[in-house]
Amino acid sequence: MAVSGFEGFEKRLELQFSGRDPVIGIGLRELDFKSLEQVLHQVQCTVVSALGNQHFDSYVLSESSLFVYPNKIIIKTCGTTQLLKSVQPFINHARTLNLRIVALRYTRGSFIFPEAQPHPHTSFHEEVVYLEDNIPEHLCYRKASVIPSKLTSHSWHVFSAGAVEYPDGVPYTVEMCMTDLDQTLARKFFRHPNDGKNGDSAGREMTELTGISRININPNAHICDFAFDPCGYSMNGIDGDRYSTIHVTPEHGFSYASFECVGSVYNADIADMVKKAVKVFCPGTVSVATTNASDDMCMRIKGAVEQLGMKCRSWSMDEFPAAGTVVFQTFTTRRNIRT
Amino acid sequence: MGAQISSQQRSDHGEVLLVHSLDSWNTRFQNSKASNKLMVIDFSAEWCRPCKFIEPAVHDLAVEFSDVDFVKIDIDELPDVAKDFEVKAMPTFVLVKKGKEQERVVGVKKDELHRIIEKHRF
Repeated sequence: MAVSGFEGFEKRLELQFSGRDPVIGIGLRELDFKSLEQVLHQVQCTVVSALGNQHFDSYVLSESSLFVYPNKIIIKTCGTTQLLKSVQPFINHARTLNLRIVALRYTRGSFIFPEAQPHPHTSFHEEVVYLEDNIPEHLCYRKASVIPSKLTSHSWHVFSAGAVEYPDGVPYTVEMCMTDLDQTLARKFFRHPNDGKNGDSAGREMTELTGISRININPNAHICDFAFDPCGYSMNGIDGDRYSTIHVTPEHGFSYASFECVGSVYNADIADMVKKAVKVFCPGTVSVATTNASDDMCMRIKGAVEQLGMKCRSWSMDEFPAAGTVVFQTFTTRRNIRT
Repeated sequence: MGAQISSQQRSDHGEVLLVHSLDSWNTRFQNSKASNKLMVIDFSAEWCRPCKFIEPAVHDLAVEFSDVDFVKIDIDELPDVAKDFEVKAMPTFVLVKKGKEQERVVGVKKDELHRIIEKHRF
């Protein structure tokens, strides 16, 4: 492991809102672009690309992704971004649209370079204190927990707060983190000097060459991709009202890739997507955190990763207010039993 | 005429023309078929923030490539045209020459849009 480098592990924030009117219309999507940019500025990131459909807007950021639904915001940022600083501004902007926050969930894995993180991300304890101080009182059901695994470098941190105790049958989320990427495959995420391409076209090429375009077999799904210079890659997938997102830090010594998607009882293909995503990177270690997924789906995901020859090292779970059950699984290649 | 096509800039060249009615779209499309000029169709919607994000860049492109026709269609105003061109996500930019699609860009991709306009310009 390198002494220092880019932190691929993301911090993820999901904010749910509701309004007094039963028909929300476009809700949060009403927020003008300047307001969004203002919030992103506080988090130290910018918009690199964007794509929207009738259901939601997606943004590829300089440090990961942002998704804006009528009643939900999902923002995921890596590096040394101060993601939690977006909480207050988002809540305030939503208020101008008569939308009230009803649930918040903050999740992340374990940082590869924790000492490089700025306030309030210097420790999970500090993050929890910051959240408790910055969320409204009516989110009275709260819980913070670190879900462990057998690997000391891989834990799953969750903070959840809600105005109600139980989730209302929302779709489930799959957050996958991969480290120790196969170096030959990781090299595909480096730009070639003088390739005559721009970030968009180089990104498109990476999406095709690495098999990422084949993870979701729905021909109506769209991918918004981007290749960073000299290396790195991000993509947002939009498929009806479902998003997926992949981010890659390919450098040896701190290589990392994440895959995240949304599923519901109508999608039997999530385990298959997880398997294909792992195959793109052939990582040494995989962690998968699901929120509000059925036991059956968790087992299917486990089976899919094991089919690739990886061994399940741990399966832990915990219950959270408003978010539901979080299941955290870790896998390593059979050769790779180091922690 | 004035009610059916509005411009977003006052200059003679380098405008992005908003087409509001099916009649004026059909006229414009027929005219495009008869000429060798490249036409860039910008499909967007009032409520689409990614579309707003790329708007200034599209204006810049219209000025830079003043020999190219830039037309903007609101998918809520002309849903049939959006359907004809199979627009599922936005913004979508379709490059058309002599009535045939040459290439398209889906999403906010300024550099890529610049590249393909330059590629199909002449």
